[in-house]
Amino acid sequence: MPTNRQRLIIKTAVLTLMAAGAIAGAAGLAVLYGGWYNIGATAQHYAFIYTVLEEGMKQSVRNHADDIKAPRLGDPAQLQLGARVYRDKCLQCHGGPGVAQSTIGMSMQPIPGPLVDATQRWEPNELYWVTKHGIKMSGMPAWEYHLSEQELWAVVAFVTVLPSMDTQAFKAATAPKAAP
Amino acid sequence: MKALAIALLAAALAGCTSERPPGGVVGDPVRGKIALTQYACQSCHLIPGVPGSKVYVGRPLSDMGRRKTLVGAVPNDQAGLMRWIRDPQSVDPHTAMPNMGVTERDARDMSAYLLSH
Repeated sequence: MPTNRQRLIIKTAVLTLMAAGAIAGAAGLAVLYGGWYNIGATAQHYAFIYTVLEEGMKQSVRNHADDIKAPRLGDPAQLQLGARVYRDKCLQCHGGPGVAQSTIGMSMQPIPGPLVDATQRWEPNELYWVTKHGIKMSGMPAWEYHLSEQELWAVVAFVTVLPSMDTQAFKAATAPKAAP
Repeated sequence: MKALAIALLAAALAGCTSERPPGGVVGDPVRGKIALTQYACQSCHLIPGVPGSKVYVGRPLSDMGRRKTLVGAVPNDQAGLMRWIRDPQSVDPHTAMPNMGVTERDARDMSAYLLSH
């Protein structure tokens, strides 16, 4: 049998937790329904929100791409196909070395990153996964149903050689005639 | 709650405006900060006060108020910086920074923000 003192401690702890939960819930609902957080794309996230979202995205991609094994990448025909896919599907939002993205890509939030540094952040299997499945709430589309398996790996291969390209080489590779 | 939010916002804004543009710099730094994000500057550059990924594709813009020159010998005054922002290739034909099609007004406000930091 608990003593009176023990009963009082338990009762106090339970009531305190319930009160804290109720206050936290009310605060959460106030933030949700108050509409104070600016959802407009001219307002940036608070830095900590951006950091948390980005870290969660990174870990999710790492986890989901873990089982994918990248094939051998980089033969010239594959790179040519990848350049065509990049020109048609990636360039308007991500731009390229010395080449600006369209105004659609410029003004999206979160901002579609440059891909010239993608290999510093991602492994090829992760780039493949992101391209295939897209990223929720970021504007990154899923290409699984619009590009073939061959095209998906080709564009990954092209992204992995972007760091070695200067503006001239990139423009040549993505010229309308270079990769019909 | 709303009063608290407004108070916090006011405090945050006060923090921003304490960075005064140096003498002779014209334009609206508050508008310039937003304009920087609407031309994707933060996709390649770290910009003070603008949340974003840790990117080093372009050089960090944290010391623009103190730098004496831009690429080569172009002076880092407001006119030089605006020229660089609007047409980087006219300053350095080989730069990988694209011409982002920035209007004169937006470049003026962007440079006002950058030169205040």
